[in-house]
Amino acid sequence: MRLLVVEDDEQLASRLSDRLCDAGFAVDVARNRDEGAAWPDMDKIAAVILDLGLPDGSGMDLLRHWRQNKVDRPVLILTARGSWQDKVAGLNAGADDFVVKPVRFEELLARLHALLRRETGSRETWIEEAGIRLDPITREVECDGVPLSLSKQEYRLLNLLIRRPGQVLSQGDIIDHLYAIGSQRDFNAIEVLVSRLRRKIGAERIRTVRGLGYRFGR
Amino acid sequence: MSAAAVPARGTACSDSLRTRILLAILLWVTLGIVGIWYSATTLFAKHVERSYHDELSVHIEELAGLVRVDAGGELMLDRPLSDPRYLVPLSGFYWQIDVPDRPPMGSASMTRGSLAGQVARDDAIRHRVERGPTGATITYGVVRHVPRVGAVKFLVATDQRILDETVASFTHELTIWLAALAAALVATGFAAVSFGLQPLDRLSRASARLRSGAAARLDGDYPSEVAPLVEDLNAFIDYNRVTVERARVEAGNLAHALRTPLAVITDEAERLLQRAETRESAHSLLDQGQTMVQQIEYHLARARSAAGARGPTTQCRVDEVLPPILSAMRRLHPGKQFEFVALDAAESSWPLDPVDFAELLSILLDNAGKWSRRNIVVELTGNAETLQLRIVDDGPGLAPENTVTAFEIGTRFDPSKPGSGLGLAIAHDIAQAYDLQIALGARSDGRSGLEARITVTLAAAPTA
Repeated sequence: MRLLVVEDDEQLASRLSDRLCDAGFAVDVARNRDEGAAWPDMDKIAAVILDLGLPDGSGMDLLRHWRQNKVDRPVLILTARGSWQDKVAGLNAGADDFVVKPVRFEELLARLHALLRRETGSRETWIEEAGIRLDPITREVECDGVPLSLSKQEYRLLNLLIRRPGQVLSQGDIIDHLYAIGSQRDFNAIEVLVSRLRRKIGAERIRTVRGLGYRFGR
Repeated sequence: MSAAAVPARGTACSDSLRTRILLAILLWVTLGIVGIWYSATTLFAKHVERSYHDELSVHIEELAGLVRVDAGGELMLDRPLSDPRYLVPLSGFYWQIDVPDRPPMGSASMTRGSLAGQVARDDAIRHRVERGPTGATITYGVVRHVPRVGAVKFLVATDQRILDETVASFTHELTIWLAALAAALVATGFAAVSFGLQPLDRLSRASARLRSGAAARLDGDYPSEVAPLVEDLNAFIDYNRVTVERARVEAGNLAHALRTPLAVITDEAERLLQRAETRESAHSLLDQGQTMVQQIEYHLARARSAAGARGPTTQCRVDEVLPPILSAMRRLHPGKQFEFVALDAAESSWPLDPVDFAELLSILLDNAGKWSRRNIVVELTGNAETLQLRIVDDGPGLAPENTVTAFEIGTRFDPSKPGSGLGLAIAHDIAQAYDLQIALGARSDGRSGLEARITVTLAAAPTA
């Protein structure tokens, strides 16, 4: 799953990006308002972490711009402006949550997952589908009750597929969701990744739909 | 400063310009009227005495001129004195002629008694107060030589009471007129003072509206003597407002500038936490970082509310401040129901800065949203004296012993829930800054849950 972090502080953006990558997300970073406003594939972004104090404008304006342009991705505001006046304005501008810097990463992650969970309509902290149970916060995965050890990329792929059971995802879709925009994209790598994951969770759980892509579960 | 914290206005007489001027007018009118009264009565008494003196001198000369000696050597008058009062018995006007070795002659008015003959000593007219037929009399006397008779004493007298009554009558009338004049002068003075001080009264009412938050500046037109003062005060108010706003922004900027590096420090500490050899240092960094965040947040909130509360109080309405907060809370706490019920005070104004009121309500509503099972009700009630806002949730509530400690800095009853333990402490500070009563307690309907109550006692509203 890809996240977009809009943060002008280079060091903080880099650290946050690293931590989120470690937590199983692919992360894109926009450094200012204009970059965020012109982001090309917002429909592939699972959620946005947005700073309010941007060098070329307010993050609040960027949020309003997205909402006016029907970008409905969940947005978590992560800002140093901590007054309730800012929080109320941010939430009413269309943000889904508001976190004040500095925040412990576990809390940020928990709230991020809560937003993503809200998207799926689930009230549970884990996702269970086709005998696979995935906890996005602890990153623990069980297959038919047996704990699995997955690599970072395998986990990301499973995390993407398990949230879209029954949907056919092309290799392009998978790349768009798993890799940040600037990173190297290789269709062969997706095939290899799918086959490695199949070996661990069972080939019947990820079926190939000829000419279209892959389908998880049902 | 809140309305209740404004020092009481001095009400002693010496502190009132109106009273001072009125006292000065009263003193001046009293001195003037008493002076006029004294001078007028004194002058009038002298004038009356002089008139009597002149009149009786004429009478005695007339009496002496009317006397002649008949063939028998007896004294007689050619005719009565021209003043008829000498003919009326005991009228108070008497004459008498003392002839040596003969009984005295007297006026028809002197039906009893006599005049003191010793007043007439020589040929100069003299007068003295002596006893007469009807009491004390002013007796005039002169000695004239009458041929064939010798030295004859001519006496004319009038009762002292007649002169006294004349003077007393004048004094009585004068006193009434002067009292009326004094009352008219004082009333005119009062009217003049009231008219003259009207601009200051308007200024006082404008100042009260400013303090109560009904106006942002000193409004109205003022005379040229007061207008520069009002302009200076308005300029000062504007400057103060800008300064407070700038101070708030700068405090926010400082917090903003500190929080981003703190976020980096926190992240670094969390990375160090993953290595056994740096775990202790990481904990220390995280703890100190948390303390710094708490201090920043708490003191920033205090600075904001203190700055707002020290300025001229503004007014805000719950039905204007609350809806955006409720909307934000519904996004922040999805699945929870936030409801606003204004029983009979929907349009009432609260005497505090809207930003601070929003901060206070947001803290309490967020707290209720975190703990409630499903429903949060905001209920507004009020009357002419007090307004009360109750935020009622259906959560687990608080033990009675925790309802006070909940307002202390850093108090957290469930560390598993996100929060800094500062929200209620900040809410308490905001309430204190504006003299609001804030309390937590069990729900008044007896059900499970917590009820936060904010109550404000309203000051008498200044009239325009």
